[in-house]
Order: sequence, then structure tokens, then C-alpha cells
Amino acid sequence: MTERGGPAGSGEPLLSVRDLEKHYPIEEGFLSRRVGTTRAVDGISFEIYPGETLGLVGESGCGKSTAARSIVRLDEPTGGEVIFNGDGRGRAERNDDGTHPNDVTRFDRAELKAFRRDVQMIFQDPASSFDPRMTVGSAVAELLSVHGMTDGRRRRGIVENLLERVGLSATDYDRYPHEFSGGQKQRVALARALVLNPDLVIADEPVSALDMSVQAEVLSLIEELQATFGLSLLFISHDMSVIERICDRVAVMYLGELVEVGPVEEIFAEPQHPYTEALLSSVPTPDPRAERERIELSGAVPDPADPPDGCRFHTRCHRVIQPEGIDLEQPVWRRLLDFRELVVSGAIDIESLRDRAATDAAPEEGDPVAEGAVSVAERIRDEFDLPRRLSDPTAERALGDAIGELLEGDTEAAAERLASVIVTPCETTVPGWTDHGNGHRSSCLRHRPEGRPIAPDPATDDR
Amino acid sequence: MSEHDRDPTPDAETETRNDEPLLEIEGLRTTFGTDSGTLVAVDGIDVTVRAGETVCLVGESGSGKTVAVESITRLVQSPPGRIEGTVRFKGQDLLSADEATIRSIRGHEIAHVFQNPQNALNHCYTVGWQLVEAIRVHEDVPEAAARARAIDLLDRVGIANASSRFDDYPHEFSGGQKQRIMIAMALVGDPDLLVADEPTTALDVTVQAQILDLFEELKTEFDMAVLFVTHDLGVVAEIADRIVVLYAGKVMERGTVLDIFERPGHPYTRALLECLPGRGNEISGIGGSLPEPTAPPDGCRFAPRCPHAIDACHRDGQPLETEIEPGHSVSCVFYREGRDSSVVSPEGPTGVSSDDADEEARSTDD
Repeated sequence: MTERGGPAGSGEPLLSVRDLEKHYPIEEGFLSRRVGTTRAVDGISFEIYPGETLGLVGESGCGKSTAARSIVRLDEPTGGEVIFNGDGRGRAERNDDGTHPNDVTRFDRAELKAFRRDVQMIFQDPASSFDPRMTVGSAVAELLSVHGMTDGRRRRGIVENLLERVGLSATDYDRYPHEFSGGQKQRVALARALVLNPDLVIADEPVSALDMSVQAEVLSLIEELQATFGLSLLFISHDMSVIERICDRVAVMYLGELVEVGPVEEIFAEPQHPYTEALLSSVPTPDPRAERERIELSGAVPDPADPPDGCRFHTRCHRVIQPEGIDLEQPVWRRLLDFRELVVSGAIDIESLRDRAATDAAPEEGDPVAEGAVSVAERIRDEFDLPRRLSDPTAERALGDAIGELLEGDTEAAAERLASVIVTPCETTVPGWTDHGNGHRSSCLRHRPEGRPIAPDPATDDR
Repeated sequence: MSEHDRDPTPDAETETRNDEPLLEIEGLRTTFGTDSGTLVAVDGIDVTVRAGETVCLVGESGSGKTVAVESITRLVQSPPGRIEGTVRFKGQDLLSADEATIRSIRGHEIAHVFQNPQNALNHCYTVGWQLVEAIRVHEDVPEAAARARAIDLLDRVGIANASSRFDDYPHEFSGGQKQRIMIAMALVGDPDLLVADEPTTALDVTVQAQILDLFEELKTEFDMAVLFVTHDLGVVAEIADRIVVLYAGKVMERGTVLDIFERPGHPYTRALLECLPGRGNEISGIGGSLPEPTAPPDGCRFAPRCPHAIDACHRDGQPLETEIEPGHSVSCVFYREGRDSSVVSPEGPTGVSSDDADEEARSTDD
């Protein structure tokens, strides 16, 4: 908590999120028995300092939007704290029972209403965030009347002024949302976010639905308004190039957890977590001469209801660690782990592989039966991009035996064999945070091998 | 990958590929009758695609890119749509061809991949069933052979463990995998031309990168030409051989990928490139918005938003395209005879953009 200075020096953060959790129950049947938990946001912590822009980046489904909604309690968080120090609440001490007086998750109705005056949100789709039957002026002015401004003429004056500040004209007050283009609607959304003079704006993919040229305009406007109004910004995006342009610091999120936090320049120049590295490498560069060195992530994002043990990224990581005693080329090691996963989950259909090997062999060899036994084993290796012979003897023995057992139909033995030899520390150890200096931290076992062994009983995780 | 087969010198490229074009679009004009008058979505564009090359149609939303490519195989419903001009595919005019001919070409020799794979797959049938159906529509083959072919195609587009995923339903696949399945379906007829309309826009960047790589691989493997529609210049830079820049239904500029990115001629192209993050200049957007498609401006379509526009820009229709170097042409009055093109491209046709020069140009223009 104290190891970071932040761009505003050693001052107090405006918003401090501590171990925020949002778990959704998975219910089943008539009585809605709880059968599981989707860990959409699973213990994330970060700070936003006054005047800074923090980017929250990750693939779709990683929990970024849920995190934002939990912070403003549009969704009730299921754990953790959100400490808000704006609105003259700064320098508060913790209560005797350990709770914090500025903890948003404990705010009562009145406090929450005041909090929601100071923190505003902008959403991705400007078309669905306005009432089509309400003029944009009254949509913006509504906030003022909700928060107690009864003088209609004054409301109108403020809103007209604000519409001009966001690059529209005062006469747009009486127009309806459908009369505006997407970019203009997003400008109105900005006006609405600013009308109560907030301390913090949470923008959830505010430019993702816009064209490149309009995107540039809206981003410039956001920057300009941020400077004029002294705003802090939590900027959520999946687009690294947008993040680079607008943010001071970035937090990279994967499957409900943060994997790396740091200043934008450092993260882009020297990403420490393999996931950040992969994200950066997949951004298309607008330079036809650029050399591409793209990192391809294997597999898909796992189900947040059943996240992988240890480091959550290990099922897709291109730098997944090899255990003591095994030394393979890294890509081969990655594919071997993928193969193990498939065998263990029983997803390998030996019969159809055998069929295909037979059909493949038939036209060339003429004698499919004799060739069959050899080529099926080879066929399996080819299918999963594994070399015919692994360079590491231990791994080769395990793989060869396991394929043999698969062909004999003993899937369980094969799974067991692979699961005992082909193992990575990444799946048994939860990585701790490593500080790379200057507020740049990452959570990867390669930097800090000790980590923390995975909890023997997942139930103890529930706090 | 594309870096290796992309020839750095445009001259060599035009020479080696200067054979009969695969697809020749001439004067394509697609209009829609609406209550508020005739909407001109595509207004007389010419595009050629040669065998094996990737041509990108680039433009903002509303520029007519999608309507243009859907007009090729007459996917645009008519009425209300009305398609004029000529579209020659391997010498055959598709716009005057009868419905049976079009059906034999569409999905077969010319295949489409669309933006949203969710809507393109039927969620009531397994993916394998849908692929087998597509195969058997095109070829009279027994079910078992179609099945083997379908598994092979799924495997080719990178669906891991294809044989056991064959009987899964679309919802059991991720967005990226669904797009791979759509690509597999497009490959069923072994097309010569793949028309891909924003195929990666709905996907995450990590997945987008995988799909773009897949396009490169398949292009070589199946020896296809690709007509790729996108608004994302980052994607264009990675995959395009040639680029056609569209604005409000008209072609603004065309050239090889290096022509467009390194020596953009048209003010619109230049503005579009300046919107890109990370090109070293302060980004402010283009300003203004696309003209009403029912009442386009008289002169150059971009004139109302163009910082350099003069009187001549506002009359006499879209300027004719001027070839400023082989294969690179621009539709802008400043490139017509008797005018000084340095007003819009201060560094000349070969230099590198500098902010100072830009400033100078603006002040002289005023």
C-alpha cells in the first residue's frame, strides 16, 4: 500500500481499492441451490491519485467492467474495500473495529448519494445510455435537479454552458439523442458526467464504439476537460493504443485479478508480466514496414467460475516455467502442457484420430493395417504439434508411454502419467507481487520463485 | 509473414502481378430509395483485385465500404437497393448474370466472412452439421466424405482437437473460434476471392492477432485473393498489399500499402493517418462529420471538412483521379494540372511528414 508514490507525489490517493471482490453465485434448480461461484472480480487493489488517469486494461470477460460497477456500487461488491477520500473526506483514520469511515462499501443511503455526485460514469454505447424521449439538455439537467437544484433557469444555464464546453452548441439543449451522431452523443455523455463537478470519472470503454477519427476527437476532449476540471479518471479499455495515449498509469487485469500495475511508459517499454507482453504484441502497428513479433497465446480464457490454480494465466502463458529436471524448448513445453490438459480432461478422441490416420495413410502406403500402429502415435504428435521425439529424455519417456496407454484405451493411466511428470510450478504456486521500482509491480513467478503455495482447501479463501 | 512476400518496390510489384485481374469493379453505384430521397451509398467506384493479393477497402463508418462489397455478389437486397455499373469476375459480368449463375459463384468462388460470427451461425445446429451442409450444397459428396472434409477444414483454421469439437454447438465456442468456423465455412468452395467485412472488429486484440495470422496463412495455402474491409488502419498496415480509401461513397485515394502510409496524397488520407495514436503528432480528429448520403456536396465529398479546400473543390463533382506515381492515384483538385500539390502534401511525394511543413502549408493556404 505504501510502496508506491504515484504521480501526485506522496499525497493521499483519491480512491483506494483494496482486495475488491465481486462473486456471482451460480444457482441451479427450483430452489436455486448454490452450485458454484463466478469470480468476476477476485481481489484487486489499486489507487487513483488526484488528477491522474489510471487505465484498466484486459480482454473481454476479465472483469474490468464489473470492477468499475462494483466501485460505484451499481453492483454490490461481495468483499474488499473502496476508500474514497474526495469531498473533504481526506486524512481519515480507521475506526477501532478496523473499518474505514470512507469505505464506500459501507456507505449508507445519504453518503452513497453524495458519493455518486462526486463519481460519475461514462459507458461504451452512447446510444443506449440516453432516454430517446428526453431531450439531451433535460437528460443532463436531470442530475442537477436530482441533487437539489430547483431553479430551472439556472439548470438550463449551466447545461447550455457545459454543452458548449464539450464542443456542442447551447441550442442543442432541446434536441433529441437520435439527432446526434455517435461521437456527439459521447460528448453529451461527457457533459452529463461533468455537470455535477465530480472528482472522479469512470469511463468504461468510452471510445470503443467510435470511428478512429471520432475516437481521436473524443480522446482529445477528455484530456482537455480533465485538465480544466482537475479530474481523476479511471479509464477502462481493451485497446492498448488508446490506453497509451491517455493514461498515466495502467493496471492490467486477467480473469478477475491484476497481473501488473505501473506507469504507462514503463509498461509499454518493459512489460514484466507475460500477459502484458502478449497483449502489447497483439496490437496492430500502423506501420507497414514494422517487424511483427507476435506472441500467440494458446487456448481460450478459462471460465471464471473455475479459475486455474496457482497463477491464473499459466494455462495460456508462453513463458510458463519448466520444472526441475526438464529442459525443453519453450514452445514445445507449452504445447506439451496443452496436450496434458486435453488428455486429463478426456477431450482426446482416439478413435477418430485413428480413423484419420488410417485414411491419411491408405492412399500412399496401400497397406493401412501395417502402417497403422506406428502412424497413429505419430499422427497424435503431429495433431498436437509435438515433435516426433522430444529433446528431453524424461519428458520423452512420459509422453511416449502416455501415447502408448492412450492407444491401448487406458486414458486414465495416460492422464495420471502426464499429470505426474509434466508439471509446472506455475500451477501449484500463487505468485506474489514483485516491485520493479517506480511503482511498477507485477505478479509473476519468474520474478519471485518463492510465491505462496496454493491453499489446500479453497474454502479457506472465502473471507 | 506478409513482410516476406511483400515486395518493397512498387514497380516490381506491378510488373509481376500485371496479369488479368480476378475482380474488376467499374463505376459501381449502389443506391437505395428512401422516404427522404435517393440515398447514394456507393457512388461510382472502381476497384480491381488481382489473383493472390490482399486489397483493403478503408473508410469510416458510413463511407459505403460494406455496401460496396455486398454489391459484388448482389447480396444487397433490391429493391430497395439498386446496383449499377459493372462487376467482372474472371471476365464475367456479375451484375447482369442470372440468379443461378450468381448462386454458383457466391459462396463458392467468391466467399464472404462477416463481422459478427454470432449472427452468422445457426445456434440450433452443431457446427459440424452446418459445415457438412455447406459442403453438400456445393458438391455432391457422400456424408462421410463431407464430414472428413469438414473436420479437415476445422483443423486448417486452427480449431484444436477438431474431430471431437465437430458435434459441438456454436455457443460452446468462443468468439474467435466462431470466426474461425466462419472462415472454414467460407473455404468450403475453395474460393478464389475471399471478401472479409470487418472480420476482426468484434474480437479482442489478442484474438484479432490470431485471426489476421490465419488469413495470411490461408491466403498462401489456398492461393486466394482477399478483399478486406476495415476501418482500422493498424490492421490494414499488417495485411494489405494495396489500399483503396473510401469516403462518402467515393474513392479518395488508392495505392500500395507503402504509398498510402508513407506518401499519402489526399488530405482525407492524411487526416485519417494523423488520427492514429503513436504517429508522433498531437491528435485532434478530423472535425465535422460525413455528409448526408441523400444530399452529397457538389464537389469533392471531403471538401466541407478539408482544411485546404478552395472554391474549385466545391464544384464539378469529385475530381478525377490523378496518378501521382505508378499505381498510386489521388482524387483531389490540387493534383490536377496547373495546380500546386505541395499545398496538400508539403513534403512532396517522397518526403517524410514534418509538423513545421504542415503548419507552413496551412498559413499559406489561408
